[in-house]
Amino acid sequence: MMTMPKININEIKNWTINNFFGSKLNLLLTIFSTLFIVYIISSFISFLSSAEWEVVALNKRLLLLGRLPAEDTWRAWPILWLFSSILCSSIGAWGNPKKSELLFILLAFLMPAAIFFSMSYIVHISITIIIGVGSYFSSRIIKKISAIKVVMYLDTLKKILISLWILLIPLVFIVLLIGGGPKPNLWGGFLLNILLASVAVVAGFPLGILMAIGRSTKLPVIKTACTLYIETIRGAPLVAWLLLAWFVLPKFLPNFYGLSEISVVIRAMIVLSFFASAYIAEVIRGGLQSIPKGQLEAADALNLSYFNKMRIIILPQAIKVVIPAIVSTFIGIFKDTSLVFILALTDLLQVGRIIPEQDPKFFGKQIEALLVVASLFWIVSVALSNLSSKIEKNLGIGTR
Amino acid sequence: MRSFVESIAQWSRFQKNRNLIIQFFFLIFTVLFAIYFLSVAFQLELSLSHFKSRAGFGLSHLFLIDYTSNDSRWVAYYAGVINTIRVCLVAILLTTVLGTVMGVARLSKNFLTSRIAWAYVEVLRNTPLLIQIIFWQIVFLQLPHISEAITFGNTSAISNRGISLPGVSDNGSAQMWFIFLGIMAAGSLFLSYFLNKREDKSGEYLSIAGYKLSGNIVGIIFFALIAVVTYFAFGKPVSLDIPSISQNTKGTWMQSGGFELSPEFAAILFALVIYTGTFITEIVRGSIQSLSKGQTEAAQAIGLSRYQSMTLVVLPQALRSIIPPLTNQFLNLTKNSSLAVVIAYPDLFMVSRTIMNNSGHALPVFFLILFTYLFLSLCISLVMNLINRRVTRIGT
Repeated sequence: MMTMPKININEIKNWTINNFFGSKLNLLLTIFSTLFIVYIISSFISFLSSAEWEVVALNKRLLLLGRLPAEDTWRAWPILWLFSSILCSSIGAWGNPKKSELLFILLAFLMPAAIFFSMSYIVHISITIIIGVGSYFSSRIIKKISAIKVVMYLDTLKKILISLWILLIPLVFIVLLIGGGPKPNLWGGFLLNILLASVAVVAGFPLGILMAIGRSTKLPVIKTACTLYIETIRGAPLVAWLLLAWFVLPKFLPNFYGLSEISVVIRAMIVLSFFASAYIAEVIRGGLQSIPKGQLEAADALNLSYFNKMRIIILPQAIKVVIPAIVSTFIGIFKDTSLVFILALTDLLQVGRIIPEQDPKFFGKQIEALLVVASLFWIVSVALSNLSSKIEKNLGIGTR
Repeated sequence: MRSFVESIAQWSRFQKNRNLIIQFFFLIFTVLFAIYFLSVAFQLELSLSHFKSRAGFGLSHLFLIDYTSNDSRWVAYYAGVINTIRVCLVAILLTTVLGTVMGVARLSKNFLTSRIAWAYVEVLRNTPLLIQIIFWQIVFLQLPHISEAITFGNTSAISNRGISLPGVSDNGSAQMWFIFLGIMAAGSLFLSYFLNKREDKSGEYLSIAGYKLSGNIVGIIFFALIAVVTYFAFGKPVSLDIPSISQNTKGTWMQSGGFELSPEFAAILFALVIYTGTFITEIVRGSIQSLSKGQTEAAQAIGLSRYQSMTLVVLPQALRSIIPPLTNQFLNLTKNSSLAVVIAYPDLFMVSRTIMNNSGHALPVFFLILFTYLFLSLCISLVMNLINRRVTRIGT
């Protein structure tokens, strides 16, 4: 592959000739690519020079939190602190980031922070940064201590972190609802996108495992039912399912404790969870198929019951193999959460579409708002896909 | 009594019988759930009889079908289905080309070209399709007003009313001619297939004035000859239709003739092609990389150029592992085309949603949507399976 050469005039010359002017075709490609790049960069610069970011600057809160009332804005901060502390200590505990990667992570955090910075929240933001850096270094220290002494601090830390990740969503719900919080319909903005995607994947995961096992059993009735479930859900587009949540779902929910009048946000979560479960089931089924038959036979030889065989032998291996694929599923679902516009929810994209229309002076500034929205989605997706390729390398998948 | 219990216990010791018991209980739960579902569903209106009534809403983008708001809902639905098929077919063709080109470019020796392909994938794969659709719509609506349309020597025009390209117009007998051409295309395909087969078997080939003609070339020449001859035989059934922009007496700008791409159609098409293209790029790249390097080296060793080794050696082999995930991407594209609803392109989904809103009977319309998309997916899978069978058979 093309690695940058060491400082050596000859090598640089060879590298340049090989990569740019090797043959006629190569020369042609170089010319066209240069023209293309110059065109893209120049049009981008001319856009940036005429762009006005006031439309974004005035609507930061809307973009991040949607229609969450102003007196409830404080609820966002504990969520952010909790998230950053868990995330940073996880990076410290599992990851072994190089300095360049740490810089990248820092940039990925600073860019949205710079876009959405305002002086009135300087204290909150500095608390966030202190918490993040502090938890990163504390978990590094724990890691170092347990490397020097033979103490199981690190394992305990990892266990605590895993349970915190699982508990994160209920905690977020508690923070959002505690003390007479706003109705779920008012949740919105980027918070809603992240919340919808996380709930969908976390709730869809157990169901997906069940469906995957069901589809790969030899029992014909269960197999048919699970196949039917998975293929039906994958057959129709997500917008159609969301439309079903809008029109039909309330009629099918039993009518006690006002269950049939639940908020649209919760309905979207239910539908997204079922939707995610079908896709996760297919991913896990791929993992189940990749387990060598010897593992199954060995488990049978140990006289394990079917339940134990799955729990102890098969599933841990299958899930380990498909973790990267599940992260990609999460990215897909995360991008798909922008489709909740069909339920009239104000998610990030919807806010980005509405804000230029609020004021005549923002007329024609849709691209600016759209660009900020797209970059937020992009940062999360790219960070996650980098994470997934990292995990893939760490687990040694594909190198066995 | 005791012996009965014992025999049951003994019977249940066999794995086969236990499986039966498990499935029996599973079935009971499923049936109970289904009964609950159906009992609620039957309280709702389930028939599609309301589709026969007047639709009452107008549609833009009509193609191959005449529809007014006085027609029945079925006609509106068919117009939607045709719009979906139209955008999907064009998008599938274009996205395959784009993805393949970018996938090859990603592995190019040229540093700049491969970086462009890399940036294309990294940037556009990670932004939601919906944002891209809206972005392209804004871009197409910000094009110059029709009075200042960008024209290319009077052959095509680009303005905020869409892109007009030269098209063909019917002089009366075009339909007959197209049907005839279709039959002839099949005939010439068969001819070249036959000639190729004969050459593979016995080495005989047609030659004119010492030039060796392969079956493909003979087929193309045959088809072109027939087309030209019948074009005059049918009395010039089609003529080139060049779009024109004019101002009528009231000062309104009119655009007529040619093949017109409306801003909505162009937006959904661009977004679908470019978004799906990123995934296809990765599929093509992965498949080429998974081939052993010896294939390229062997191709170069027997003196093939880089282009030849790519088209004759590498891509045909890579196709085997490309086709199955490619099929998946085509299915995704078809389902994603439903997002056209956001820019009011009247596809299947948008028309059905309008009917759903107007009639108030959501469930049957939803099942109609579900089955239509399933049917479309099935068609794509069938065609791709045929291609897959053909591709995997080569060389075995």
